[in-house]
Amino acid sequence: MLTDLRVAVLIAAKDLRQRLRDRSAILVSIVAPLGLAIIFSGLLGNTTAFHARYVVANLDGGQLATVLRKDVIGALVTVKVADVTDAATRDEAIALVTDGKADAAFVIPAGFTAAINAGQGATIEIAGARNATLETEVARAVAQRFGDGVVSVQLAVATAAHLKGAPLDGPATGAIVTAAAAATPAVNLTDDVARLRQLSMATYFSASMAILFLFFSAQIGIVSLFDERRAGTLARILAGPIRPWSVLFGKLLAGFAMGVVSITVLVTATTLAIGADWGPPLGVALIGVTAIIAAIGISTLVASFAKTGESAGAAGSAVAITLGVLGGSFTVSSQSPDSMATIALFTPHGWFLRGLGELHGAGATAADALPAAGVLLAMGLATLALGLVRTRKLVTAR
Amino acid sequence: MTGEPQAPVVLSVRGLRKRYGDLEAVKDVSFDIREGETYGLLGPNGAGKSTTISIVCGLLRRDAGEVTVDGKPIDTGAVAAKAGIGVVPQDLAIYPDLSARENLTFFGRLYGLGGARLKSRIDTCLELVGLADRANERTDHFSGGMQRRLNIAIGMLHEPRLLLLDEPTVGVDPQSRNAILESIAALGREGMAVLYTTHYMEEAERLCDRVGIIDAGEIRAEGTRRELVALVGQRDEVRLTATGDLGAATKAVGALPGVGGAVVRDGVLELVVDDARGMLPRLLDAVDKAGATVRGVDVVQPDLEAVFLHLTGRALRDAS
Repeated sequence: MLTDLRVAVLIAAKDLRQRLRDRSAILVSIVAPLGLAIIFSGLLGNTTAFHARYVVANLDGGQLATVLRKDVIGALVTVKVADVTDAATRDEAIALVTDGKADAAFVIPAGFTAAINAGQGATIEIAGARNATLETEVARAVAQRFGDGVVSVQLAVATAAHLKGAPLDGPATGAIVTAAAAATPAVNLTDDVARLRQLSMATYFSASMAILFLFFSAQIGIVSLFDERRAGTLARILAGPIRPWSVLFGKLLAGFAMGVVSITVLVTATTLAIGADWGPPLGVALIGVTAIIAAIGISTLVASFAKTGESAGAAGSAVAITLGVLGGSFTVSSQSPDSMATIALFTPHGWFLRGLGELHGAGATAADALPAAGVLLAMGLATLALGLVRTRKLVTAR
Repeated sequence: MTGEPQAPVVLSVRGLRKRYGDLEAVKDVSFDIREGETYGLLGPNGAGKSTTISIVCGLLRRDAGEVTVDGKPIDTGAVAAKAGIGVVPQDLAIYPDLSARENLTFFGRLYGLGGARLKSRIDTCLELVGLADRANERTDHFSGGMQRRLNIAIGMLHEPRLLLLDEPTVGVDPQSRNAILESIAALGREGMAVLYTTHYMEEAERLCDRVGIIDAGEIRAEGTRRELVALVGQRDEVRLTATGDLGAATKAVGALPGVGGAVVRDGVLELVVDDARGMLPRLLDAVDKAGATVRGVDVVQPDLEAVFLHLTGRALRDAS
């Protein structure tokens, strides 16, 4: 066992020496992802922090509408995620959005408070700018959450009145609803904003480029197995006093080491160069290591269908880019349609970014990365097992 | 044979068989190689030499037979027993982006060498193959001959009991070939058992203590050079330098009684005949009638080429 491990380490060390001597490997593993992360975060750096411009047309002016305007929408100003201005009419509010002076408009219709006090339905209109998807979604979520709270209170009031056998009068009901609405959103709004917290652009693009290019680094070991077979060095190694599995293990170890070098350099360099905030080191290490295992597993499985080093490399690259596109390496996930977010969950890229995102919640610790790390590990081990079963033919006697 | 105690057998091959589909590449091949002995497998390309070597070093499954090195069975699952074998493959098996020393260090460590012994062995092997002054250069800067020499140095680095060399001089310039053959001869003198495959008759005659003549997967004859030449018996090898229709001339003389084999190579008709002096007039007459003109006649002592011709009816180099 020790001998097998020694052989694997020897092969991995030799591979690493070759790869580091080969400048293309350094280019793919370090220079390209680092360069792209810097370029993307530089180009999109202005959108790093979420900040919206809202306009409110309060056409009602009643108690409940005032609560929505001041306590709920106004809270966005308090937590510094939005600027809010007021418009006298619906048309004025819409015009501000159309002219690009506001990202979205809240239109509170006349009769809003009275309708709710009477236990009836009311509508808050949200009008968003075409290029402000995220800001509009936030506005819609705020309004929705407010509405949910109002409905809950209406239901509670109706239930209490039914039990007492005497319905409350309109003003009394309105007072309860207003008080509840004023109290509830203060808590819920904070929760909403926390849920929408995302990685900064610098961190996001550093991470997405890291996972994208990790696949190129991780496949170096397994692809070199084909190259060694063609060059005859694999046969020479296998003619020695070693077990075939130790060769495979050595190749995987080389890919793992290359992945660790790549991720470590990227995390350090992007932190220092562009201020990326990856999160708690232990959590980042957990996500990083499991992502490397996933990348090696998938690369091994893909390579197992190839016949030459060239085809293994090409297939691995195609899969890496496809998974990168589906997993959100090229688009900010919070601005993607729900369907894309769902598809991303089938890719290690998606879980890698999600895991890092979990490390950025309020009071987040390394433990918050465990679910994503678990998924990445499972993906890696499953594909690795399949890949090794298929790849063993390369190192066993004919 | 001489009455002296024989050196112990290092490699024993018994009844080896290997089939690829309909082609039986190795047919019941058996031979032994003793300590300090260099054994040559002489035969054309496709004769089964490389297949035999691949089975002997455990890279290829055999269909039947047995291989032992120092009494330990060798098969595809063997690990420890393979430590006693060194392999020099026909194609170069070195890392072009590593230096000669780095190549040797990697393969030496695979075989368990380390520390001062590894360094000492690397220096010795580099010296032996004449690469000591180029040790730290990347091997893709080497000439083909230098790469071949490094290929051999890797095989003998760990001082194996048995060294397998599969046509190690193919494509090598004469100077490098000479250096390679000198190195291998030195190994035999140091007590290493050597299995050397080649289709060059001169190499087999120069290097090997015993030779197995292999053709179409079968060892047709085996022995020392003297023993093999004796198979040709009292026959003579006649070489007729001729012009004209040499194909027809070959056919004509080949049909004569007393002619054991006839081939044409580089404008020379090579014949193995029972009695050169008695047959010469009939040979010249047959060549003349076939439309060719004889320009010169040589009667030479048979060599391994003649033995191959005698055994297979074909010239070794033509078959290659």
